[in-house]
Amino acid sequence: MSRDDSLDQMGRTAVKQNIHGIMTFLLGYPPFDQMETHHLAWLVEHCQLRFYAAGDAIIRPSDGPVQHFYIVKQGQVRGERRIAGQDTPDTTFEISIGECFPLAALIGDRATRTEHIAGQDTFCLLLPRVDFSELVGISPVFRDFALRGVSSLLQQVNLQVQRQAAETLGAHYSLDTLLAQIAIRKPVSCSPVTPIGTAVRMMHEASVGSIVITDAQAAPEGIFTLRDLRRIVAHGETDLQRPIVEVMTPSPCYLPSTASAFDAAISMTREHIAHLCVVDRGRLVGVVSERDLFALQRVDLVHLARAISQAESIASLVALRRDIRHLVDSMLAYGASAGQVTHIITLLNDHSVCRVIELCLRQHGDPGVPFTWLCFGSEARREQTLMTDQDNGMLFEAENADQAAAYRQQLLPLAQQINQALAECGFTLCKGNIMASNPELCLSRAEWQARFTRCIQSATPENLLASSIFFDFRVIWGEPAGAQALFGSVLDMVARNSTFQHLMARNALAHRPPIGLFRDFVTSRSGREKDTLDLKIQGLTPFVDAARVLALAQGISETSTIRRLQLLKQQEAIAALDADAYTEAYEFIQLIRMQQHQRQERERQPLSNRLVPDTLNHLDRRILRESFRQAQRLQSSLALRYQL
Amino acid sequence: MKLRSLLLRGRSTGLTPAMTARRSALPAPQPIDSTPIDQARLVVLDLETSGLDLQRDEILSIGAVAIIGNTLQMADQFECTLLRPAHRASQATLLHEIAPSEVHAGCPAEEALLGLLEFAGRCVFVAFHAGFDQRMLSRGLRQDLDYRLQHRFLDVAELAPMLFPEAARKCSTLDDWQQHFRLVNSERHNAAADAQISAEILLILLHRAATQGTATLAELNNRLVLWRRLNLVRSSGF
Repeated sequence: MSRDDSLDQMGRTAVKQNIHGIMTFLLGYPPFDQMETHHLAWLVEHCQLRFYAAGDAIIRPSDGPVQHFYIVKQGQVRGERRIAGQDTPDTTFEISIGECFPLAALIGDRATRTEHIAGQDTFCLLLPRVDFSELVGISPVFRDFALRGVSSLLQQVNLQVQRQAAETLGAHYSLDTLLAQIAIRKPVSCSPVTPIGTAVRMMHEASVGSIVITDAQAAPEGIFTLRDLRRIVAHGETDLQRPIVEVMTPSPCYLPSTASAFDAAISMTREHIAHLCVVDRGRLVGVVSERDLFALQRVDLVHLARAISQAESIASLVALRRDIRHLVDSMLAYGASAGQVTHIITLLNDHSVCRVIELCLRQHGDPGVPFTWLCFGSEARREQTLMTDQDNGMLFEAENADQAAAYRQQLLPLAQQINQALAECGFTLCKGNIMASNPELCLSRAEWQARFTRCIQSATPENLLASSIFFDFRVIWGEPAGAQALFGSVLDMVARNSTFQHLMARNALAHRPPIGLFRDFVTSRSGREKDTLDLKIQGLTPFVDAARVLALAQGISETSTIRRLQLLKQQEAIAALDADAYTEAYEFIQLIRMQQHQRQERERQPLSNRLVPDTLNHLDRRILRESFRQAQRLQSSLALRYQL
Repeated sequence: MKLRSLLLRGRSTGLTPAMTARRSALPAPQPIDSTPIDQARLVVLDLETSGLDLQRDEILSIGAVAIIGNTLQMADQFECTLLRPAHRASQATLLHEIAPSEVHAGCPAEEALLGLLEFAGRCVFVAFHAGFDQRMLSRGLRQDLDYRLQHRFLDVAELAPMLFPEAARKCSTLDDWQQHFRLVNSERHNAAADAQISAEILLILLHRAATQGTATLAELNNRLVLWRRLNLVRSSGF
């Protein structure tokens, strides 16, 4: 009987009670809940059930190539690895009900490297190796799981998040969709000599909001939109016979058709435009509009960015900033990753900060000293969420110490006003007083340079703590050249100073991920924070700190954690697989954190990074645990590298 | 008794020649001897019956699960609902939830019992309160198959308190033991599911027996004989 026949037959005959019972059990756990019913039945029919008392070894490195795929039906299994020169073995992981092992050894056809021991009295379902291979052959879901392990589950979580968010909004496509699939294929275009009136008629007939002006080779020369029409009418331009070239916006922004919807959204937000040309090999192939991107959205990104940048008062800015929450909701619905969402939030925050500075300048008057507004920490890393506090400073040029002191006195009142206005907009005042209104953070370039040098050369605990904030920096407003020169020389100093790197690495191990030896998660034992863990400090900080040390040591000037990891991967300072695993883990923790913030905001609760792990569903809990484990791995590799 | 069985033989069951041939091809049961426990075929059995009367009530469904080498093969199972044309709903119906319609649609008793014996093969039967199952099966086999049941039975209701004396005081029923070992029954009072639960308990019991050095069927049985005696002495107040 061929395999198909046997599966077919299984579909027809009633499934036996006990097979059914085990199937029902497995349906509670991924990836089994995603598998086709007859594949799942096939799996169960080929399984054995065995019992292991607490303390029994289930598989050992000395057993040779692994013979079975194990699913924990009841109890708990822990992995122990013996480390040379250490008496007690290290528990490297725990496997609980519904989870499987040992995937890597099975796929690699080798012995396990970890001793698997029953942590409690345990029943396991065992699938023989040949049947495991066969199931990999017949079930795509199982194959995906077997080959990609937890990563495949991660994708599932992302889909789940997207679905949940989409339920309230109605999503159409993901932000990863290529522009080739979204852009209008036959864009409305005309030559530069076309009369304005004709061009507008063409737009009207095609019911579009823009027309692209192209040369004979179809290369875009300019764009004319309804906004431009409003502008020329308002300015009294009424001669519709004049050529369009005179009123178009020249050199329009464009992207290739291989760019993603997300890229387009970013460009539009950054440039405050609503139409983007899609150009391949110099030829116009399409136009994508803001409405194409966010067809049914209540809040549109570009409009929001523009409104923020043009807000006439702090009060209207405060009102606009509430829309950011809706935007995050929609972005999650459109399948944005945590990295993309924090990037957009940061972009909008940048617009807000710039506008606050402009409004304050208007109200306060020019202080008479040119200054540059710096940001530090998460804002500098472009990793802001809805819950964000101010970490900023000012930089100005001065010829000597006296002049610097005088300029500082001129700038501080303005800085004070800006900090207060930002606080009104929801950027919480920094508890550690890392703000431009602090005289120690309103410095001339020479003073900043001295400060950083001191920080690097005499590594006191405070200096180290400061380094974790100040070494992620970015210019938000004002002339960037001076600040960039400063950052360049700081980067050089760190890359050359291995003692400082060593101390930073030690500092990066200060926050341990909240997973323990035997229990799922380590949570606070008592007090108001009982049963919770801190997603930011315990979950994200280990990644942020480790990536910073490694990046600074490699002379990488990028500040975002994910970009740092990717660049470290390119420079082969971290193995590619590891870098991707860290990125995924980091993004997942960030995603969980953002979802929590979104929910708290909806329920009008104060935003908090403290999570009760028990409130997560089974899949999220499992992946969160795996993500923390990746943080542990990153810390161990850091410890090894710096011999800590 | 002899007469009765002669009479029954005279009435002759509806065995076809093919069935008679299958019956004669059945292997001899596994004796309780020096065979290592982990090499014997242990078939955990559960019967749902129309009632508790050993003379009058009938087997309605059979569930059986095999264990060899401390391993339960999910595919190595037997379950069958028997055809009982005269069956009426009774009090027991409420318990096992086998609807009369299901029984009328079942498998003919001869076929079901022959199927069970073929599945069982050279085995020792194990059941919870094995005495009941042994007698019910014995009578069924005699009546419907004209076959003398010679298989040995081990009783989980005895093995469990013997091997886990620490739990014996608070556990007596299958439900008690199931709860004690925190096992999940997919459908209580379904013959197959109850056989599965008893088999899971047996896996735990066999593990305990092995750690205590009990290696063969005979050793296990000897321990049971001693334990019974000791129990008798205790209960008689010595």
